Amino acid sequence: MYRYDEFDAAFVRERTAQFSDQVRRRISGELSEDQFRPLRLMNGLYLQLHAYMLRVAVPYGTLSSRQMRMLAHLARTYDRGYGHFTTRQNIQYNWPKLRDIPSILADLASVEMHAIQTSGNCIRNVTTDQFAGAAADEIIDPRPVGEILRQWSSLHPEFTFLPRKFKIALTGSPNDRAAIKFHDIGLMAALNGAGEIGWSVYVGGGLGRTPMIGKLINAYVPHEHLLSYLESIMRVYNRYGRRDNKYKARIKILVHEEGLETIKAQVEEEFAQVRGGRLTLPQEELDRIGAYFAPPPFKSLPVAAIDIAREKILDAAYGSWLENNLHPHRVPGYVSVTISLKPIGAAPGDATDAQMEAVADLAERYSFDELRVSHEQNLVLPHVLVSDLPAVYVALVEAGLAEGNAGLISDMIACPGLDYCALANARSIPIAQEISRRFAAPERQKEIGALKIKISGCINACGHHHVGHIGILGVEKKGTELYQITVGGDGTEAAAIGKILGPGFEAEAVPAAIERLVEAYIARRQTPDEPFISAYRRLGDAPFKEALYGTA
Amino acid sequence: MGLPKLAITPAKPDKLRALGVIALNGMFDEMDALGVLRYAIEEVLPGDIAIVSSFGADSAVLLHLVSQVDRALPVYFLETGKHFAETLAYVETLRQRFGLTRVTALHPDPADVARFDPDGQLWERDPDSCCHIRKTEPLEPVTAQFGGWVTGRKRYQTAERGVLPHFELTSDDRIKINPLAYFSDSDVNAYKAQHGLPEHPLYDKGYKSIGCAPCTSVVAAGEDPRAGRWRGFNKKECGIHFDFNGAIAKPMIGQKNLWKDGAFTADPFRAWAETDSPETARYAHVPVDVFLRNRVAFLSNPHPIGLHVSPADQVEQVEADLLRFASIAIAFPAFTDGRGYSTARLLSERFGYTGEIRAVGDVLADQVPLMRRCGITAFVVTHEPTRRALESGQLATVNLFYQPVGTTEVPVGTRPFLRRAQ
Repeated sequence: MYRYDEFDAAFVRERTAQFSDQVRRRISGELSEDQFRPLRLMNGLYLQLHAYMLRVAVPYGTLSSRQMRMLAHLARTYDRGYGHFTTRQNIQYNWPKLRDIPSILADLASVEMHAIQTSGNCIRNVTTDQFAGAAADEIIDPRPVGEILRQWSSLHPEFTFLPRKFKIALTGSPNDRAAIKFHDIGLMAALNGAGEIGWSVYVGGGLGRTPMIGKLINAYVPHEHLLSYLESIMRVYNRYGRRDNKYKARIKILVHEEGLETIKAQVEEEFAQVRGGRLTLPQEELDRIGAYFAPPPFKSLPVAAIDIAREKILDAAYGSWLENNLHPHRVPGYVSVTISLKPIGAAPGDATDAQMEAVADLAERYSFDELRVSHEQNLVLPHVLVSDLPAVYVALVEAGLAEGNAGLISDMIACPGLDYCALANARSIPIAQEISRRFAAPERQKEIGALKIKISGCINACGHHHVGHIGILGVEKKGTELYQITVGGDGTEAAAIGKILGPGFEAEAVPAAIERLVEAYIARRQTPDEPFISAYRRLGDAPFKEALYGTA
Repeated sequence: MGLPKLAITPAKPDKLRALGVIALNGMFDEMDALGVLRYAIEEVLPGDIAIVSSFGADSAVLLHLVSQVDRALPVYFLETGKHFAETLAYVETLRQRFGLTRVTALHPDPADVARFDPDGQLWERDPDSCCHIRKTEPLEPVTAQFGGWVTGRKRYQTAERGVLPHFELTSDDRIKINPLAYFSDSDVNAYKAQHGLPEHPLYDKGYKSIGCAPCTSVVAAGEDPRAGRWRGFNKKECGIHFDFNGAIAKPMIGQKNLWKDGAFTADPFRAWAETDSPETARYAHVPVDVFLRNRVAFLSNPHPIGLHVSPADQVEQVEADLLRFASIAIAFPAFTDGRGYSTARLLSERFGYTGEIRAVGDVLADQVPLMRRCGITAFVVTHEPTRRALESGQLATVNLFYQPVGTTEVPVGTRPFLRRAQ
């Protein structure tokens, strides 16, 4: 894992002191809310429906057990005993007091964490694959470059007042688990003709009220020129992105309106000027940062097969946990374990302080002290010995975190919705809870198979509903909450935006509508192994439209 | 000569305001110069009044009057660096003769001279600007400290001065006292003769109104005595006397809104106006589109001009002409509009522009450090909290940087992008 050197530590310390002073000036009345607002937003502090909300960055989703324990401490000391892991691989605290913010930031700084640029119209926390550095299918660990991007984008003086927020995601695996094509910039590791690893750059993806799939702007940018290339994109966006309408200010609109070729030409022109300049990243420097992410001392083991069928007979719950919550590791004898934060009937992404402590203990004991946060709002123990799985499972059961539903219908993404968020038009969490209860039975979930449901409480799409195999969008119509259902979205490398098939449903009718979609799928799938999304692609809208609205 | 200790807070001319300018002007006989002066120094503005003297052809009369009321009255002399040697000698003569104890010379800021008049020929190219840096600017910090001023201006001198009263209220709420307002040329000569006052050494050589050497010439018999000043230029006043008779021609002291080199200073520049002409404009920030439409005229215009860059402007279009601008103003119409940061970096880093780059508009204190990193060196600030933060030096700064930005930051550590403020 990356460790702060003196420079990094001093930087965060100065920034914390700076914001603490701004908080003090706000409390003393020296700053009005209007003046304080842009400052607090630069530091991840929102004013929500009921209280301030602090969003803490988890750079590229990587945490140590020490950091996780600090997050538990913050939940216990300054909040109501829990935190909320988000689709941005961050954690949010919903009830901190303004006067406590300086202490919270100082506590975070003590474990090399911060809340810098988790909001505001700047480059946000860089996100990546939750299995980075562990996955069997990756061609490069994306975290060293992620860390370099974190540094380059931190308080960048030129790009702090962009037209709108800016999100960068990267993946080192061709199987995209970081939804890179739905970010302002998406980076996917790529090989050039000589077999060298660099990056394919996608630009102009995003969700929100105008969902767009990112477009390939450059098929191969070598590491050494990556920062120059990104700075070129940022400069073109900062200068030419629309500022007249905040709903048309993201780079996706610029790319859409001007056309990819125009933007590409502008970026190339800028790149020609800065290429080879001070932003050039020498290989030694990449290696030096990369050394922080060196693989832990794995044991040399034979491939370990897990007899899931046998385990299922012995313990059905353990069996389905093994079946769903493990991800192949690049080192034989190891797996990555997804810790589901989606227990049946709970708020997706929430974890109590005790659960965070328990997870930290497990990471320390069984995963070389490493933890990950996934954009699907789960936690990950990246490097677990297959032989340790029973012990890990027992501990998770004790912590109430042993739900074996990763990737299944009850492993939903949901935004905080109207229960917390000032922007929301409708509740999301209660809808997620109802659906979760309806499909609670493990056999039923297994029968359905891989199915991603994503729920947003408003058009801003924090719950990624556009890329849910089934998406649910809460809207407000004539004073009541109504839910639009979309089908066919996909956030992976096979990126697709879900389609609305008809009018919305009232909250009570949503679970039944989902069930009808599921039934339509089960009835028509070619084999039990054909996933929902594949069946939808093969069958088209018609059967699903009929399932939702009946025959005309 | 150091500046004498001055009153910190100017006394408010309440008395004058209570009486009204017109009533006060009716109190004294037109020729009662001494009465006017004594009343001003002793009654209206005790301890809060001073005089600026050119030590020119007529200065002896007024200084003689002053010496009869108060020899310790602060007397300022604008040592522009362009005076006749005879004038400098005359300063000494009068000081000793009248026993004046507080004569102070005010010099122009060497930085201004170096920047605006490196070859010493500014008087020829742009006499207004020359007066500005040599007279208006040096005088400003001093004028701010007094509630009133004694001048030697006379009605007969120029048509513009034809309505000059004894007492004037200036637009910045100060009082100007003109004891000699009604004196004619022969009154002055009679006074000089009556009191045996020493003559300016150049007077007998035909100089009737004496200022800086380059801008003063001999006056022919029958000519307006001030016709020898700025001969050939359409210029009558040097800018320090513009305000008279309550009519506001130009505030004597504008608000100092330009933050530069660690202090607020008076801004020599102003915004471009519709009525400005590309051939003759000076000290105006010309919008990019106006410049491009009149490029040839601006390039042959001999005066200092600036460039005004709006957020949507592309500075690439004026890259070849950047050396033409003494100052570039980047507009920030809203603090959320960050386009100007890119503009500033292009100017300073890519195009190598080393002149003043100023941010104009909605600037928050917390943005100042970011703007500086991008190459902005001056700020026109009206936002009160930002002014206070600049003055107190309490800017929220993080002095360690993760990006190679700007031209002055120094690399630290091994990462190629780490920087620290120099």
